[in-house]
Amino acid sequence: MNEIRENITMKKLKSVKDIKRLQKTLLAERKGIRKSIAVCEGTGCHAYKSSDVADAFVKEINKRGLDKEIGVRRTGCHGFCERGPMAKIFPEKIFYFKVKPEDVPEIVESTLPGKDLVEKLLFLDDKTGKRCAYQHEIPFYKLQNPVVFGNNFLINPKDIEDYIALGGYSALAKALSGMTPADVVEEIKKADLRGRGGGGFPAGLKWETARDAPGQPKYVIVNADEGDPGAYMDRSVLEGNPHSVLEGLMLGAYAIGSAQGFVYVRQEYGIAIENLPIAVAQAKQLGLLGDNILGSGFSFDVMIHQGAGAFVSGESSALMSAIEGRVGEPRPKYIRTAVKGVWEKPSVLNNVETWANVPLIINNGSDWFRSLGTQTSKGTKIFSLVGKVKYTGLVEVPMGLTLRQIVYDIGGGIRGDRKFKAVQTGGPSGGCIPEQFLDLPVDFDELSKVGSMMGSGGMIVMDEDTCMVDVARYFTRFLADESCGKCIPCREGLRQMRRILKNITEGKGKPADLNLLEELGDFLKEASLCALGQTAANPVLSTLEYFRGEYEAHVLHKQCPARVCQSLIVFYIDPLKCSACATCRKQCPTDAISGDKKLVHIIDQGKCIKCGTCFQVCPTRFSAVTKLPGGPAPEPVAYGTKVAQKSKGEK
Amino acid sequence: MDKTKSRIVGVRVNKEQETMLSELQQKSKLTKSELLLKGLETLAEYYSDSGAEQEPMQTALQRLESEAVRHMVSLRKIRRKEEAIKEFVREIRKIDEIIDRHGCNPSMLIQILLDVQKQNNWLSKPALVWISERLKVPMTRIMQIATFYTMFSLEPQGRQTVQVCLGTACHVRGANELLTRTQSVLNLKPGETDLEMKHTLKTVNCLGCCALGPVMTVAGAYHSNPSVAELKELFKES
Repeated sequence: MNEIRENITMKKLKSVKDIKRLQKTLLAERKGIRKSIAVCEGTGCHAYKSSDVADAFVKEINKRGLDKEIGVRRTGCHGFCERGPMAKIFPEKIFYFKVKPEDVPEIVESTLPGKDLVEKLLFLDDKTGKRCAYQHEIPFYKLQNPVVFGNNFLINPKDIEDYIALGGYSALAKALSGMTPADVVEEIKKADLRGRGGGGFPAGLKWETARDAPGQPKYVIVNADEGDPGAYMDRSVLEGNPHSVLEGLMLGAYAIGSAQGFVYVRQEYGIAIENLPIAVAQAKQLGLLGDNILGSGFSFDVMIHQGAGAFVSGESSALMSAIEGRVGEPRPKYIRTAVKGVWEKPSVLNNVETWANVPLIINNGSDWFRSLGTQTSKGTKIFSLVGKVKYTGLVEVPMGLTLRQIVYDIGGGIRGDRKFKAVQTGGPSGGCIPEQFLDLPVDFDELSKVGSMMGSGGMIVMDEDTCMVDVARYFTRFLADESCGKCIPCREGLRQMRRILKNITEGKGKPADLNLLEELGDFLKEASLCALGQTAANPVLSTLEYFRGEYEAHVLHKQCPARVCQSLIVFYIDPLKCSACATCRKQCPTDAISGDKKLVHIIDQGKCIKCGTCFQVCPTRFSAVTKLPGGPAPEPVAYGTKVAQKSKGEK
Repeated sequence: MDKTKSRIVGVRVNKEQETMLSELQQKSKLTKSELLLKGLETLAEYYSDSGAEQEPMQTALQRLESEAVRHMVSLRKIRRKEEAIKEFVREIRKIDEIIDRHGCNPSMLIQILLDVQKQNNWLSKPALVWISERLKVPMTRIMQIATFYTMFSLEPQGRQTVQVCLGTACHVRGANELLTRTQSVLNLKPGETDLEMKHTLKTVNCLGCCALGPVMTVAGAYHSNPSVAELKELFKES
């Protein structure tokens, strides 16, 4: 059995018993499979051409006639994007990283009894120098508790049977057969599930409001307009395990009495957009969507809406405007969207991850959910750990782990063993958290205390080579571009902040600018219409608070200590180190470098566009090109100076 | 030109039009204003004829098409015009298909625009007018949406889109330097298309491949931090 069944004859399930029977049949059918190989085809691995690897597996297994024993499964994201493409062997949970199609025969060979593992593709732990084969040995996975994300390994998102075989839709069956809608709301309330999109608003409360609100029809909405740059956990859940989100949505609909749901997904998420309609169609075919679901009298349908690229559209009222076919701008929420949302009807909007948690809570009970996490934040959270960290990827951990554990134990510390500077959480609305707060437990409330927020779960690690002024300018530029322009504080305030920050990074800043920035930031917080504007100043205010010295270096000394701001830094070739290898001269896109055989190369500062090519290509054995934090550059040597003589040993 | 403009029954005419009018006037023995009104009347009749049905522009277009077929016999010049009209009709038909696929529903406006953008690589004025006509949505709202979202472009795009990711993770790993390099190799600024319509350079806020950062895509294929030499190679192939 190969490619675990794509053409299934799916009969409509008519009762709760049917779904249990189907699960049993599926499990019985799959007993013959000795091993299965899960190949990640999430967006990250896809970019590494993992589909070629999966094809190679299928070919190799067919060639050896093992297709009855070994299944190949094309799954969603496995989280460890740094080491893609990856393959996981079940049931042992052996991970192979950076797999190339030519490695495939060896891996297939190794799954046969009595054969050794493929050593070179296993994870190498830098600290111990040992190879780790199993999931529980790899530091990246050791501390994780992937309750939401874990099933990604086991499911082909294009096949509903995989999900059902794992017990999928049993929470729906449980609710429809033995719980009233009020019970479902009560269970979610008891679990204290808070919205994973950033706000952390209790989901149960929102549901209850919508359930009690007058007006019909009611709507449930999945917010998959994940706009935070550097965060992609919602996409990975949606593309890897779409049914878990749909099941959660159905439970929500049942609880509040809705018959129509929407999934609002970013147009940029190609694989999610491909997998979602398949999931919806298969659920319809099995009668899990449509009229009279599982003979319970509950009817529900889902529509998929695509976003067109606007950060502010992820705001709840803006998203609802977009669903109505209008421009995605926020509106004042004097009345909550749970009371008056889409077409002025009660609407419950939750983030992808929140919905994916719902079936787990219904299945395992609120007490199980409450046993994970901290006092005020229950459950687990998926973070996207990116930036200058060694092991980039998605990590799902119980709430309350410290930043240090996440960055150092899971993420493996900083790349190239540079010094840690800050971690930015909460996307453009969050702040930068400096080293002194590394032992802070990560949950909804602790992070807000230090001027940041948890947000949707982006964690961008920055090292000493990251300029904090530049980061603040980056986020302000992003937010100024994405501001819808409806309210003046956000539109004009951000524009002014961007102008000031641009001046500072270009060395035109004035000492008074720093206070002005703080003043503008406070004003934005107080007077903006929606959360975008209210939190827009966070990146600037938090960096001003913790990294004021860097701002002062830019303003007073016209230097960028981290050597990032392109207008300030200077590239310079050290005449004593230059060996006239001509690598930089040939690659310079603007021909700013002059020199000849055996002559010291010189950068013409007037022509230099500071693209960093010379710095990047200068061979490490010379490292003659240096970045200086600020100008002016040292006087270059006269053209025609011969390179310094080197002893033979140095060659 | 403007200085010579005069008004007849409230309609502005320039010098050429005025001489044309006086010639016509001599032939038909009507006054200038009568002649103008007559012309406007014919125009109004034309619209009221076609405007009676539910979908006025569609019938008008059908007639235009049949007219185009009739004229084909006569003049080559006209034939070229017909080709243009037919091309236009074909374009509109394609857009019609998209609109019908979404059930001609005004709340699906953004989805329709996305599909049109995907098919044509840009949103042309006639396409937008036609969508406005079919969905009965005012043009202002369509323009509001088309200018609000970054996905839509109101100018033709190059055959290949080059996207440089400026997400936070890529930013801290040196996306700006990559952008500067790409700009200098392509000789384009973000948002611009070269004269041969080969490449359009764009920046995006996150491609979600943070492990590859700084990352860029050329015609959908991902490349992690290419050097100047690699960039030149990439654009040469395409």
